[in-house]
Amino acid sequence: MLNRALVRDVLDAALSTGGDFAEVFVEDRYNTQLQMVGGDLEKAVSGRDYGIGIRIFRKLNYVYAYTNLDTRDSLIEVAKTAAAALPGASQNIVINLSRIAVEDRHPIKVLPETITKQQKVDLMTRAHLAAKNYDEQISQVRVNYMDEDQKVLIANSEGLDVEDRRVRTRAMIQAIAAKGSEKQVGFYGPGAAMGFEFYDTIDIEEYSREAARTAITMINADLCPTGRMPVIIDNEFGGVIFHEACGHSLEATSVAKGSSVFSGKLGERIASDIVTAIDDGTIPNAWGSQNVDDEGRPMRHNVLIEKGVLKGYMIDGFNARRMEMEPTANSRRQSYRFAPTSRMTNTYIDGGQSTPEEIIANTEYGLYAKYMGGGSVQPATGDFNFAVREGYLIKDGKIDRPVRGATLIGNGAEILKRIDMVGNNLALGQGMCGSMSGNCPANVGQPMVRVSEILVGGQKGDQ
Amino acid sequence: MKVKEFTKKLFDRGKASGFDEMETYASGQDNFSVRIFKGEIDSYSVESPRGLGFRSLIDGKMGYSYTEKLDEESIEMLIKDARENAAVIDSDDKEEIYGGSDSYPEVTTFHPDLESVSAEDKIELAKAIEKEALALDERVQIVQSFVRSGRSNLNILNTRGVDLGFEGNGIGAGLQVVVRQGDETKASWKFNFETDLGKLDAGDLARKAVTEAASLLDGGSFASGRYPVVFRYDTAGDMLATFSSSFSAENVQKGMSLFAGKLGETVASDLVTVMDDPLLPGRQFTRPFDGEGVASRTKAVIENGVLQTYLHSLKTAAKDGVEPTGNASRGVASPIGVSPTNMYIAEGEYSYEDLVKKMDKGLVIISLAGTHSGADPISGDFSLGAEGYLVEGGEIVRPLAQFTIAGNFFDLMKRVIAVGNDLDFGMGRVGAPSLLVEELAVGSE
Repeated sequence: MLNRALVRDVLDAALSTGGDFAEVFVEDRYNTQLQMVGGDLEKAVSGRDYGIGIRIFRKLNYVYAYTNLDTRDSLIEVAKTAAAALPGASQNIVINLSRIAVEDRHPIKVLPETITKQQKVDLMTRAHLAAKNYDEQISQVRVNYMDEDQKVLIANSEGLDVEDRRVRTRAMIQAIAAKGSEKQVGFYGPGAAMGFEFYDTIDIEEYSREAARTAITMINADLCPTGRMPVIIDNEFGGVIFHEACGHSLEATSVAKGSSVFSGKLGERIASDIVTAIDDGTIPNAWGSQNVDDEGRPMRHNVLIEKGVLKGYMIDGFNARRMEMEPTANSRRQSYRFAPTSRMTNTYIDGGQSTPEEIIANTEYGLYAKYMGGGSVQPATGDFNFAVREGYLIKDGKIDRPVRGATLIGNGAEILKRIDMVGNNLALGQGMCGSMSGNCPANVGQPMVRVSEILVGGQKGDQ
Repeated sequence: MKVKEFTKKLFDRGKASGFDEMETYASGQDNFSVRIFKGEIDSYSVESPRGLGFRSLIDGKMGYSYTEKLDEESIEMLIKDARENAAVIDSDDKEEIYGGSDSYPEVTTFHPDLESVSAEDKIELAKAIEKEALALDERVQIVQSFVRSGRSNLNILNTRGVDLGFEGNGIGAGLQVVVRQGDETKASWKFNFETDLGKLDAGDLARKAVTEAASLLDGGSFASGRYPVVFRYDTAGDMLATFSSSFSAENVQKGMSLFAGKLGETVASDLVTVMDDPLLPGRQFTRPFDGEGVASRTKAVIENGVLQTYLHSLKTAAKDGVEPTGNASRGVASPIGVSPTNMYIAEGEYSYEDLVKKMDKGLVIISLAGTHSGADPISGDFSLGAEGYLVEGGEIVRPLAQFTIAGNFFDLMKRVIAVGNDLDFGMGRVGAPSLLVEELAVGSE
């Protein structure tokens, strides 16, 4: 992608002052984004992202610079400008790049560029029709399609020289139901680290009908009551609760500086003993997988929590220095425009013993969150909030009636201890995770879990 | 290749391919940022992104493509992709390449003094913020301060003779503070955007962040129910920002806004006036023209509670048979959309303290969580996490542990009973003064 002699010279220029480590990240990416509203293809954009990021460490400080210009003069100048921020005598580090061949664990069968735009539009039309025709109360359907083909070169002053190619695609279906002036939204967004063959492995119309069913169920639902109650969160995208409320607090970004509630708690019990949590960037062709992380380390299967005990954090190369621990191949970034940092890949609560039927039958009163919406967390405190996309009240061990407008409010550290049932139906769901190094594709996941008590915010007021 | 040279080659190549009208939209930035942790530079970055968006009318439809690499290979890709993308578009709405407005407003977006501020000065400011914050209260555990500055230029060149450009710059500073007392931690963020370094006051930012984080310690619960609330300026701004997409004519025309069919009708309390002002001096989204090259202008979107206009691009304006409002948004990699510029709720007469006094008994909301997930911009329904204080007898009496608020934005706008005089934009494009709202559903223990 870039002449290796030039890469080495750029690394040399980056270490011409006090730096003790330098890295070059070259990215050449081709993106396609299509948007269909009401069956009409309204937006079609495609193009090429191209840039080079240069990162330099000096002990616990770092400098990051990037440019789109890949001429020798430009790159050397950018490297020197960045190096000037770390004044000091050069450490005369000798750089010998040695190319590492990476085993491709995520083979692509049909590259997106070999599929015409019209074939992609045809897929979207099928998705649109399946949602639109589901029910006459479906007033609007939006379908977004994306694919990307990212080629990266990562080289550093320790001699690492590795290339990776990441191909991803995703279709996002939003179905809107209307009744009078009220509207409710259902959503499904399946995606994978695959080419266009992904759509042969799923039934896109099934996802559309499910999004439409959610919207219809919610438009006809009562307002959710407010109060503390047991909450059952179903599998797949329900894992967003762990992702937001706990996962972010296990990233070195917040752990290294002691600002996470889980800082210094390795080996301690932080969750109930039926909770085991994993971050695994190696799952073949999964949405959050790749061959190497954005610092060039082969992806790993990392146990975060084992039977309630904190076993590990997600650590990038820079924060590893402050923590004096080994990196875990969790360094990720949206693009060359971001310095990488510790991020989740495919993160999930592992499967347990209970069947979903048992969990519901054992709950006298509470909320059943069939689908979760998004959420956010304040890493320093662990306080979180999540929207429930499709919820039901549970009465006497049975699913009673649907309720809408519910939000789950709580604290990550507390909720982990309150998980009192874990189901056996583990599944993963796709999301885009936003943090310091930008938006990264990430799988969340879990089986059905029950939390003994969460504050549920609804519009109905006190029950 | 330089932008003009590249554009010329691209237009020549496009003409040879039978393209009619063509346009390039080129954006370049030079950004600097520094973050301080424990008196040392924690991270330091120098960024210079450049990109070029291309669009062309091809058989009556607009085709878009973009690149960040200005080479011969990209010219071929831009032409091929624009053609393919145009071919699959099946909207009947007519997009056009603009021939230019009669005149453009004079706005100051570039502040030369800011360019003479050295990296060292910015580092010192970030260090000063951290130092002040650490010294203020011994319960302060962690401070992360930052300073960011940026210079940007934007150019639109098209085959209808438009050759527009402007340059802008600005600087921002802020911090996050974490305070700890026993097992309890609370955090607070403060940041400011300015076009004059002198207006960034390290002591003031630090004091606000520390005081606020500490004020939330020992928060208690209260009985869930319906209460009058004061949305402090920043949370009032968060609410307006979350639902500002409802003003977009694009969303109105697609049936994705509850403002559809409400022009000239009362949609808010008569105390509420919402402005969209791309000419406001010293703001981040101030600009002489919009993403299509249409001249910027100031307008009231809601005046004394009555909906005056939607925000329009050329396409949405043509569809409604009205003049464009200069609200076309555009990015190198994104086609024309509609968005606010500097949007804000106009100030009223009350100070923040007077609003609290006037409320007598209720809650003050000083931070919101979940606006991107717990709020539906189409229906207006929201259910959010919040932090704030309990007010009794017109005085703040104690902090509250995280609670929930739920309601409907459009309903909320009708229930505004007093407007503050403390308009603030923070670092965003949407601002508001503090607002006193008659009643809202609030959940605690």
